Amino acid sequence: MAEAAKEKVGAVLVVGGGIAGVQASLDLAESGYYVHLVERSAGIGGTMAQLDKTFPTNDCSMCILSPKLVECGRHLNIEVITCAEVTAVEGRAGDFRVTVRRRARYVDLDKCTGCGECAEACPVAMPNLFEEALAARKAISRPFPQVYPNCFAIEKMRRGRCGVACPAGVNVQGYVALIRERRYAEALALIRENNPFPSVCGRVCHHPCEQECRRGEIDEPVAIAALKRFVADWERADAAEHEPPPPFEITRAEQVAIVGSGPAGLTAAYCLGKCGYATTVFEALPVAGGMLRVGIPEYRLPRAVLDAEIERLTRFGIRIRLNTPVGRDLSIGQLKSAGFSAVYLAVGAHSDLKLGIPGESLPAVLDGVTFLREVNLAHSVQIGKKVAVIGGGNVAVDAARTARRLGADVTILYRRSRTEMPAIEEEIEAAEDEGVKFLFLTAPTAFKGEGTRLVGVACTRMTLGEFDASGRRRPVPVAGSEFTFDADTVIAAIGQTPDASFLGEGSAVTLSRRGMIEVDPETVMTNEAGVFAGGDAVSGPASVIEAIAAGKEAAHKIDRYLRNERPEPAVRETEADALEERVLSYASERRPRQAMPELSGEKRIADFSEVKLGFDEEAALAEATRCLDCGVCSECRLCETVCEADAIVHSMVDDVIELNVGAVVLAPGFDEFAPGEKYNYGFGRFPNVVTSIQFERILSASGPYAGHVVRPSDRKPPRNIAFLQCVGSREANGGHAYCSSVCCTYAIKEAIIAKEHLSTVEPTVFLIDLRTYGKDFDKYAERARNEYGIEFLRSGVSEILEDPHTHDLLVRHVGEDGLAKLSRFDMVVLSVGLEAPQRAEQIARALGIRLNRHRFALTKEFAPLETSRDGVYVCGAFGGPKDIPQTVADACGAAGSASALLACARHSRTRIKEYPPERDVSGEEPRVGVFVCHCGINIGGVVDVPAVKEFASTLDAVVFADENLYTCSQDTQETIKRFIAEHGLNRVVVASCSPRTHEPLFRETIREAGLNPYLFEMTNIRDQCSWVHRDAPEAATEKAKDLVRMAVAKARLLEPLHPRSLELTRAAVVIGGGVSGMVAALALADQGFPVHLIEKEGELGGNVRRLRYLLGGGDPSIYLKDLVARVQGHDLITVHTEATVVDFSGFVGNFEIGLMKPGKTYIETIKHGAAIVATGAQEYGPQEYLYGSDRRVVTALELEERLARDNGPLNSVQNVVMIQCVGSRDLDYMYCSRNCCSHAVKNALKLKQKAPEMNVYVLYRDIRTYGFLEEYYRKAREIGVIFIRYEADRKPIVEAVSRNGSRELRVTVKDEVIGANFAIKADLVALSTGVRPLAENRGLAQLLKVPLNDEGFFLEAHMKLRPVDFATDGVFVCGLAHAPKSLDESIAQAKAAAGRAGTILAKDKVAGEGMVSEVDRDLCSLCCTCVGMCPYEAITYDYNEKRIEVNEALCKGCGTCAAACPSGAMTARHFSDAQLFAQIEAALV
Amino acid sequence: MGEVGAVEQSQAKTDETSISTSDLDPKFKYEVAEEPGGENIKVCFSCGICTAGCPVSEIDPDYNPRRIVRMILLGMREQVLSSDFIWLCTLCYTCYARCPQNVKFTDVMGALRNMAVREGHVHASFLERVEQIDHLAQQLRHDLLLKALPGKGGEEALSRSDSREALERLLDGEKDCVDG
Repeated sequence: MAEAAKEKVGAVLVVGGGIAGVQASLDLAESGYYVHLVERSAGIGGTMAQLDKTFPTNDCSMCILSPKLVECGRHLNIEVITCAEVTAVEGRAGDFRVTVRRRARYVDLDKCTGCGECAEACPVAMPNLFEEALAARKAISRPFPQVYPNCFAIEKMRRGRCGVACPAGVNVQGYVALIRERRYAEALALIRENNPFPSVCGRVCHHPCEQECRRGEIDEPVAIAALKRFVADWERADAAEHEPPPPFEITRAEQVAIVGSGPAGLTAAYCLGKCGYATTVFEALPVAGGMLRVGIPEYRLPRAVLDAEIERLTRFGIRIRLNTPVGRDLSIGQLKSAGFSAVYLAVGAHSDLKLGIPGESLPAVLDGVTFLREVNLAHSVQIGKKVAVIGGGNVAVDAARTARRLGADVTILYRRSRTEMPAIEEEIEAAEDEGVKFLFLTAPTAFKGEGTRLVGVACTRMTLGEFDASGRRRPVPVAGSEFTFDADTVIAAIGQTPDASFLGEGSAVTLSRRGMIEVDPETVMTNEAGVFAGGDAVSGPASVIEAIAAGKEAAHKIDRYLRNERPEPAVRETEADALEERVLSYASERRPRQAMPELSGEKRIADFSEVKLGFDEEAALAEATRCLDCGVCSECRLCETVCEADAIVHSMVDDVIELNVGAVVLAPGFDEFAPGEKYNYGFGRFPNVVTSIQFERILSASGPYAGHVVRPSDRKPPRNIAFLQCVGSREANGGHAYCSSVCCTYAIKEAIIAKEHLSTVEPTVFLIDLRTYGKDFDKYAERARNEYGIEFLRSGVSEILEDPHTHDLLVRHVGEDGLAKLSRFDMVVLSVGLEAPQRAEQIARALGIRLNRHRFALTKEFAPLETSRDGVYVCGAFGGPKDIPQTVADACGAAGSASALLACARHSRTRIKEYPPERDVSGEEPRVGVFVCHCGINIGGVVDVPAVKEFASTLDAVVFADENLYTCSQDTQETIKRFIAEHGLNRVVVASCSPRTHEPLFRETIREAGLNPYLFEMTNIRDQCSWVHRDAPEAATEKAKDLVRMAVAKARLLEPLHPRSLELTRAAVVIGGGVSGMVAALALADQGFPVHLIEKEGELGGNVRRLRYLLGGGDPSIYLKDLVARVQGHDLITVHTEATVVDFSGFVGNFEIGLMKPGKTYIETIKHGAAIVATGAQEYGPQEYLYGSDRRVVTALELEERLARDNGPLNSVQNVVMIQCVGSRDLDYMYCSRNCCSHAVKNALKLKQKAPEMNVYVLYRDIRTYGFLEEYYRKAREIGVIFIRYEADRKPIVEAVSRNGSRELRVTVKDEVIGANFAIKADLVALSTGVRPLAENRGLAQLLKVPLNDEGFFLEAHMKLRPVDFATDGVFVCGLAHAPKSLDESIAQAKAAAGRAGTILAKDKVAGEGMVSEVDRDLCSLCCTCVGMCPYEAITYDYNEKRIEVNEALCKGCGTCAAACPSGAMTARHFSDAQLFAQIEAALV
Repeated sequence: MGEVGAVEQSQAKTDETSISTSDLDPKFKYEVAEEPGGENIKVCFSCGICTAGCPVSEIDPDYNPRRIVRMILLGMREQVLSSDFIWLCTLCYTCYARCPQNVKFTDVMGALRNMAVREGHVHASFLERVEQIDHLAQQLRHDLLLKALPGKGGEEALSRSDSREALERLLDGEKDCVDG
């Protein structure tokens, strides 16, 4: 053992940060293990955080969860790893190696303060999934305000397709988002990061971004180029307003020469300048701009616009030397020797290609680019009246439109058809508008001249043949189609090449066959070292944006060349998922794009004025809001600019973490069924059909409607609401054949809460079976029916229709009478089921575990928390649909199991908290700090929090007051600590919510700040002000002030207290030797703690001894035998049979139990540190249905025993009737016994298997085969078992009737569907008798000082989050003693109780409480009143010393003694007379 | 002995109104399940979705799919097979499509019709007639609809149509069939 022990690792991986994962983590950490909690989302909290209230106590879900989150988050031995997923688990139980992939959060967790400025600034709104898409959130967000870590995260998808499509890599989505926010300067800056020509590209870019725009999938693409132009024009219009940019800082010694001032050359200069290089641009022409200047006509790109753009570049320090051709007078070699370390050739392609046909040398045959250049430079080129333009590209169209403006009649001759024209479509259309004519499928063969005069163009008609290399169909001449086109001028625009003559002879730079400069595509360097080339000169004629892209690329590569290589910058690499599709589905509203105003055709050809007029601001804003934000985060980086903490890191990348753990606890939770599949319920189409989780958000005070019950379509309160059960549950068709277990009760809860918020609303719950099988759930349902008037209707719903005018809903169902009915509802809530998480398979693969056929984790009947892999445990809904208490119990149990596995490595990985030394405040004047909480809108929505804060600051001794959105949030704890230090506070008051949940947190905080934790006072202005006086905000504010004044008055007198920690007995007692008790005992013993197992009977086993088989096929007797053997054989377990508990005393860590055993005259006492109550329950002994008077009437357990025994007695049995709910759900026992339905199904199946001919009738009220048990119910129906439902007020009648000399047993029941009574002649009647608490519970409860509920079951400390704890520390409960439950649930709960007990026994000492009573012996008259009054027996009279003693470990600080003491000798510390009177006086001011 | 036990008084009361299961045929459900289309009859859990969405139930409340299933399950063989309601189904398949348990009620109706013929509750020719009625009713509906749609030549279609008369002729003959 010891050898193996060394190999185990004292750390545990917990997967999933919902309540199960959080609870398991806390228990494990408290048991001495280091925990790595891996959560997929950005924070822990899970589904419970989304819930408004929890059933059946209607506790606020967030209020009970939030302290747990904080406790978990701040626990020294829990590492919370968010945005992360486990990808592989290798190794074996005790020593696993875990690989975790952590997605980039893009926010530095250590720096983020959770202030939220980033989200304020972020321009990208997304459906808020925490609010179930009922509200919006930003691309940078946190799930909810109380989340841990209280830190934002950015949601990035694959980059928007627009930005990917841009050759220059401009962040399109980013600048569109910024324009939407009117952040024009920021938008321009973002464009200029990659493109120095926004004005130019806003006008002439062929915008490949728009082709890719996903808005185009809905209606039309966003007018991206026009938006770019808009911001550029905005800046230029107000140039004086906008500060000229500072010149680039030259940080590099190397200089770069750039040949050519076109877009490629200038972009290269710009980008190199940004890198710190000095650049000089050499331009042959007298003007800068290259093709932008001389190629593009002015009506498309006005000269002033281009001038301004180039002028701006020169301001950065880029030198442009005009009229300086490189070549003849200035060679490349000379440039190099003049000190340029690199040369970039960006000379463009300005040389026109020739047609190579006769007559081309005629003076009236012009070249396209040459023509445009001359017009652009001189505005006066002589052309004739009738111009033929040859070609179909942009140059041809530009030349044609230019010639129109020079007054000519223009025809474009193109050898293919219109669809093949390479020119931009808009340009072709513009040419048409301006009267340019087209002659397609026409090729010139010769230019006819008379002398030097052109008289016509000889043409031939063409037809389209095979596809060529360009993917277009090759034009083929049509024989005999020759004709002459009448023209006096020809402009041939069929392509260009660079003019390479400047290179001169002997240059190492080589040209391609087509005349382009050749470069290495990797480095863009030519054959000559240090000489680079790009743009049209390399690629051939291309677009402006491609030239810009080339210049940018060249700059980057020249920089790398000059630096001798450098790593590429990190690229955005994110995994896209379904959200992208969700983005599209949420924005399906059609909104066509804004039209661009432009000059009319006639006006245009009058001169060279710009044709397109640009958007005004209104149009631009309207256009920008059309963007779908399909990449989610647009990387506009506004968040970066507003983040004071410098926490935003857009370049963050995913990383991989390796962990070493001994065990794994899986708690990844569940997904809600997506009712979109249920098309006949209209979800997603009808706004007022919502899911139950959406309705939780609607009910929540912090939800999208601030807790007002209104319907989504018109935000009006609904008059009635229909709740539809079993949506995505109990459906044999849709893969959800199981019952989701929780929906019935949560629908009731939602109906009750809706009613509480809106008393006029009338809820109806449509259901098949009402499955309120949990502890106190039936009473809850009764209250819903009787006190809240909620209607329950047994009917499925066939379909929902919508009244399109009112958005009311028409629900098709059957009425009470069983007839079809159409009812109108204002709102419908679909009670959606729970399904296995979407990623179940991935989780299973990574963890190496198996799933069941419903995709939940596979577990075994007797081991509900163990997966198929040793050392990997499962808890919560991933093991099957279940509610919060069961989830929490599972979590405690899984933690306990892991504890047992790793017991030998306990404390090997944990760390110990070091507090700063406590500050001695004695002698200091009180310096009180007051923190007033908004609690979101919980308090702030009613109470005027700023006014309360102001008031607080005026109070005596208050030196500081502050208000917080959430005082309990993580960042506020840091703030409080900072203010304690800054203002030298020595008392702290928090005015917020309930001290019951939050006081420990604040005490911890001030202790971390060096103050004694008892120098803290809390006052509850939420429950006592904002909640109860919701309708009177002013009075609520005044009351809050009063409460704060009282708290401060007391705080002034607070004194440090020092609790004493005590030794403990590291052993446990388990009372009850049934399965629960034995499992608990074994689990604790396996953790290494000695256990005393106390059983009142002579042998172990309890109720399970009577079970013969289980629904799943398992044999309980084999299990039991093995369990008993393990218990009896365990070194650390002492079994006490026939033992009765007669005495119990002590306190957590130091209990003493007294046992009586037969034949012994003395009481045997056992010292122990923790106790578990597992006393079980008993079968109800029926009085009804002839039980006891007719031998043919038996209980279900008796039937099972008989079935297992032999076939004999059943041979003559033809008809068996089972009656459900015997002694359950009735009168004084208004609870469901939970097991009986599945028990009946089990017996029915067994009967039918043994004798298929037999008729088996099950008479029931609701069949409660929850969870996966539902399948057995279906199987029973399939095999022919007849289920007949009876109403509670019309129970079946069992009679013994004399007929033909024999006494016939007859059962009569009314079938509600047929509406008739049926009399069944029964050979055997089996009563499904309920579970009853033991009568002796009362006595035991008194001994243990723990409570029972009304029925006599033990009552846990908290229904939801402390399901196996008692309010008395150190005492726990499990199994049937707590409430009826199934065997596997009992096993899980027993492990939970053991796990919880382990958290106490794992420690060296028990931390005591400081708020205890003390006696002033000078005043004490020894009357001993206190001794009798103390409910905890903490006060004793010491006869020897003749004085009163207070046992501080037992004292709970209740103050009863202090109140009772006639001489005022008793004081409850922290509640002294002085403190209380100060408070009272403050109240009376 | 409590309030619900076998007290003598309750005996008389229940005797009068009850249907005795001894008079029913518990095997009926298995037989229906043996028929093509009847396979899933037994898994019904009486949610009522079939009835809620049934267009025939809307017109004739006596036609109640959920109730019919209960009658089958409880063995009310004679009552089911001799009833009119097994002929009222229009085979629209709404119940079929929406049934969460996949009972395939429309197909069950087919099974019942076949059984009714086989067991002599109706003559085989009646089943043929029903099919004819369905066809003609479909045609009549089509023609009436065309008439209701202005400008579709519906008047003409209806005047040309002999479906109404054919239907009437058929119905005149039907009585004999059922009785015989």
